[in-house]
Amino acid sequence: MTTPTTSKEQHDHIAERVLERIKDERLSPRPRWEFIFKNYFFWTFGALAVAFGSLAFSATLFEITNVDWRLSVATHSNFFSFFLAAAPFLWVFMLALFILIGYVTVRRTNHGYRYPLVLIALGAVMTSITVGSGLYTIGLGRATDEMIGDHPPFYRPILFAERSWWLAPEKGLLGGQIVDVSPDISSFTLRDFSGQVWHIDSSDLRNQDLATVARAGTVRVVGLPSKTATTSFDFHACFVFPWETRGDFRNESLPPPLAVFSTTSERGEKNSTTTQGEACEGIRPYRQLRTIDDANP
Amino acid sequence: MPSEISPRQGDDASDEEIVRRTLLDKEAFGLIIERYEAKLLRYLERLGVGISEDREDILQNAFIKAYKNLNSFDPTLAFSSWMYRIAHNETMSFFRAKHARPQVILSEESEALITELKDDTADASLAAEFRLSRGELAKAFEKLPHDYQDVLTLRFFEDRSYAEMSDILEMPVGTISTLLYRAKRALRNAMPDVFLP
Repeated sequence: MTTPTTSKEQHDHIAERVLERIKDERLSPRPRWEFIFKNYFFWTFGALAVAFGSLAFSATLFEITNVDWRLSVATHSNFFSFFLAAAPFLWVFMLALFILIGYVTVRRTNHGYRYPLVLIALGAVMTSITVGSGLYTIGLGRATDEMIGDHPPFYRPILFAERSWWLAPEKGLLGGQIVDVSPDISSFTLRDFSGQVWHIDSSDLRNQDLATVARAGTVRVVGLPSKTATTSFDFHACFVFPWETRGDFRNESLPPPLAVFSTTSERGEKNSTTTQGEACEGIRPYRQLRTIDDANP
Repeated sequence: MPSEISPRQGDDASDEEIVRRTLLDKEAFGLIIERYEAKLLRYLERLGVGISEDREDILQNAFIKAYKNLNSFDPTLAFSSWMYRIAHNETMSFFRAKHARPQVILSEESEALITELKDDTADASLAAEFRLSRGELAKAFEKLPHDYQDVLTLRFFEDRSYAEMSDILEMPVGTISTLLYRAKRALRNAMPDVFLP
């Protein structure tokens, strides 16, 4: 029969066993630097996660601001397919992932458990948004989208994707740089994103589109390929929309205008009417494109 | 090397002071064990470690862990909170490893919890006729989720402040407060004959 142990005996028993184990196993406190290092490591890792989150946000912003949602009526059969092609899923996922990593790592720091989830998550989100917006304005949004985003096989940077949508002359979509404009702006020459040169009939354009052509630069053209056009040009333009890349520090200043457009000029007066040729009115979706065109400055 | 702190000196020294001395002389750690052993054994019992040998094993491991990690102790926290945290984590690991369920044994100190539950009861007449045995309370307590049991134990049996509970359970104070509120409500709901739903 065993004798019940008293509290004092139990204490001696536990204290002895613990101290014996410390001696026998030659245990010693782990050095302080290990804990300091661990704490700094988690803070640094958390900060890095938020920094990557900021980059992801800058790329998200770059995608959102550089996709012309209005012109989805021309490039895609419906808005849903356009949304699937253009929405920055990768970067939103990365942003969420890095915020989660930031939260988990900050929680593992010395006093990390004291901060509520909402506070850490909101802090990480706000920091990512603020820093990400700054990075976007200095052009790192594009750099992230193209340099990092170009590597995953399932992802295509937004500008690359958009250029491919506007390299479809058979569908009446052309994008590229205007390299020459005739003096009366009745035609212009465009080099598309693949390097091919197109001689384009602009006789059917309205004033705001002619002004865009005269300013030159990169444009999106909606029109008709030569096989359906009645002229000898490669392409018949119905609408011309300016194509500005926002959030790009590599954006060089616009070249000087290639022509001077004035509504009081002979050419301008010809085109001051609101009607266009039958060929243009037959393109789909003419009405919507015209409304968008009217809203152009 | 013999301890530089006599038991009498140890009685006066703060926990933080003993920790500092333990880093120079491991024997001084005995004073920490002396101070916390009884409290922690009681705490482990309240957490539901029913067998005395298990409590001793868990406590030994907790002390060893505390010793090895003494340098990670942050003096801005109360040492007791840090020690309780280690004991708590060690107990949770024990339950996980053994796939064991806590065996709730409520002592006479459960009065504090009973009083709290009564005070929060809107029905005064019911509160006046309040008759609740420790056994009934223990039965209801056992039905609660683990995290509810943890906060109730720390608050009403260990008399810990919200800040200390936050440091022991490694949760924000707001979460502790919410858990405590829900735990009390769940405990009342588990005793529908005594408290109005």
